[in-house]
Amino acid sequence: MNLVRAELERLAARRFVQLMVVLLAVAFAVTVLTTLGGSHRPTPVELSRAQSQAADEVRRMELAHDRCLRIKAGSLTPDENDYLPRECSQIDPAQSERLPTASDYLSGVFVFAKEAEPLLYFLIAFLALFGFLVGASYIGADLNSGGVVNLLLWRPRRPTVFATKLGTLLGGLLGLSVLASVAYLGAFWLIGQASGLTGRMDGEFWASLGAIWVRGLVLVLLTAALGFAVATLGRHTSAALGTVAAYLVVWELGARLVFQILEVARPDRYMLSSYLAAWLAGEVRLWDDSVCRPGISGFCDGSYTLTWGAGLVVLLGLTAALVAAAFTAFRRRDLV
Amino acid sequence: MSAVIEIAGLRKTFHTLRQGRRVAVDDFDMLVEAGQVHGFLGPNGSGKTTTLRALLGLVRPDAGRMSVLGASSPDRLPEVAGRVGAIVESPQFFGNFTAHRTLRLLALAGGAPTARVDEVLEQVGLRDRGGERVKGYSLGMKQRLAVASALLKRPELLILDEPANGLDPAGIREMRDLTRSLAAAGVTVLLSSHILAEIQLICDHVTIVSRGRRVAYGPVDEVLAGFDQHQWQVRVAELEQAAQVLGRAGLSVTGHPDRLVVTGVVDPEVISRTLGEQGLWVRELLPLRPDLESVFLELTGGHDHVAVPRQVDGAPPQDGVIDLDVRENREVDA
Repeated sequence: MNLVRAELERLAARRFVQLMVVLLAVAFAVTVLTTLGGSHRPTPVELSRAQSQAADEVRRMELAHDRCLRIKAGSLTPDENDYLPRECSQIDPAQSERLPTASDYLSGVFVFAKEAEPLLYFLIAFLALFGFLVGASYIGADLNSGGVVNLLLWRPRRPTVFATKLGTLLGGLLGLSVLASVAYLGAFWLIGQASGLTGRMDGEFWASLGAIWVRGLVLVLLTAALGFAVATLGRHTSAALGTVAAYLVVWELGARLVFQILEVARPDRYMLSSYLAAWLAGEVRLWDDSVCRPGISGFCDGSYTLTWGAGLVVLLGLTAALVAAAFTAFRRRDLV
Repeated sequence: MSAVIEIAGLRKTFHTLRQGRRVAVDDFDMLVEAGQVHGFLGPNGSGKTTTLRALLGLVRPDAGRMSVLGASSPDRLPEVAGRVGAIVESPQFFGNFTAHRTLRLLALAGGAPTARVDEVLEQVGLRDRGGERVKGYSLGMKQRLAVASALLKRPELLILDEPANGLDPAGIREMRDLTRSLAAAGVTVLLSSHILAEIQLICDHVTIVSRGRRVAYGPVDEVLAGFDQHQWQVRVAELEQAAQVLGRAGLSVTGHPDRLVVTGVVDPEVISRTLGEQGLWVRELLPLRPDLESVFLELTGGHDHVAVPRQVDGAPPQDGVIDLDVRENREVDA
């Protein structure tokens, strides 16, 4: 317990951590202030006009769906402006995931229900970057500066030291992430209340936002563990940064290009970024060029889906493998 | 006396892609008993730090047995870690932390009372600078901080690797006094240093290592006595005549422009009587005792090659350059 306290204090006292927290606070303050400055509470006239525009749009969609059905049934001849999907259900407003609402037609009005999701994605992206950098520098600087040697002279149990450091990092990061997201979303909800609209926040909205939040927190913890593991293996913070840069350049850019030249089927399924997006968004729909090649007549759907489950398996598997390798290296390595 | 540190047959080889295989320590033995202030001497790269790191569980030995305070190392080292204070080679600390915070965190992590922090800062002379960031410290101050960290636990065994690094003469003296006071309080001290005069002043026992092997060990006086050639420096007015007289008496004499050196004489009375009987009066008669430096240089191959740069780490000697190979293992019973 003392070791955890000491490590937590060391983590919190690190300049880099403090700098990143200040940056988070600054980004938070700037976003809140600009949002606050650019939003106003809509007048009844603005609201009525927006509601009318939303109703018109829904009506237009219903007409388009009805027209599609009639064309498919042969009771109507299509003209050049008609959009005809394979199934008319694709443009059925009743089956649409989201119908236009008044908030879509309000200019200069912050609507929390509409903006919460992108705001949360921004926060998750920042926290994931924060987690990776702090995770890497926390152990990297310690290994490089002799801090680990000093600690091992006091606590010559390497597995305990490794596990405590990683546990402290993840625990501290989780605490900070929860606090930051509550403060962040809470502040924007207040802006919606005071100087905009909160929008429709039904159970579905909260369930969807909650799922993104939980997946985001898991991603933040995974990136922190990844940074920690790679820096442990490379004995330096820069090892983690270099590995990420090398991966992006060599694999995400270089290998993607090679796959395209060789016309490899579904190259995106070999890219970590696809699984990351799938995990964060719930699922990601990707396009496979090799399916719909010239010569294929008629409708061709070359799309395929990666689900959050596949994303979790890949991200968790990679992180677990690297953490296990780092643990083994830390346990056996000569500290010279 | 009980053994505080026991090392038998320690071997450690490092493998690197660039340099290949390098034997750092080979079949090394060491014994430090309770209450000793034990000097650990050896040239750069001779394996001192590797030995200490292996003893403290920081590097994995290839072979050999080690124990600290009766617990085998590294397996049972955690059981006695709270009784061992150690600094290994230039210790480094986070520059942005103050000395006080650095020690407090170490004490917290190691379960030592944090109230000790102020005491040890005072003990090493950093009481008034403990609130400053370590990055502003000189090398000597960092060294003092390292010693303070080793003292936090009130250790029974103190392992200090080059504690005088970066210290000014006053600091070296303070470190010497501190070591003596700790030894007087019953702390066993293992001290690795290049400052041979310091070792001779502080230590009662010594182990000398060269190219990863122990080449001499035992009480300092006995190690030195093992190299005593019973030499005497003689000054008289008539040097040439005196040399002839002593030579005729069967003594081994080496002439110098201003003095004679007589070797192999246990009782100096023989010299003064021999010369006096011939009317030659001795102005000065001094024993030439070996010091640790001369013994160290002889054992580690540093003698008589003043003009030739000695190569670190016992690299194979080139023809006609220098021979660092020490084939003699002088053992002096403790």
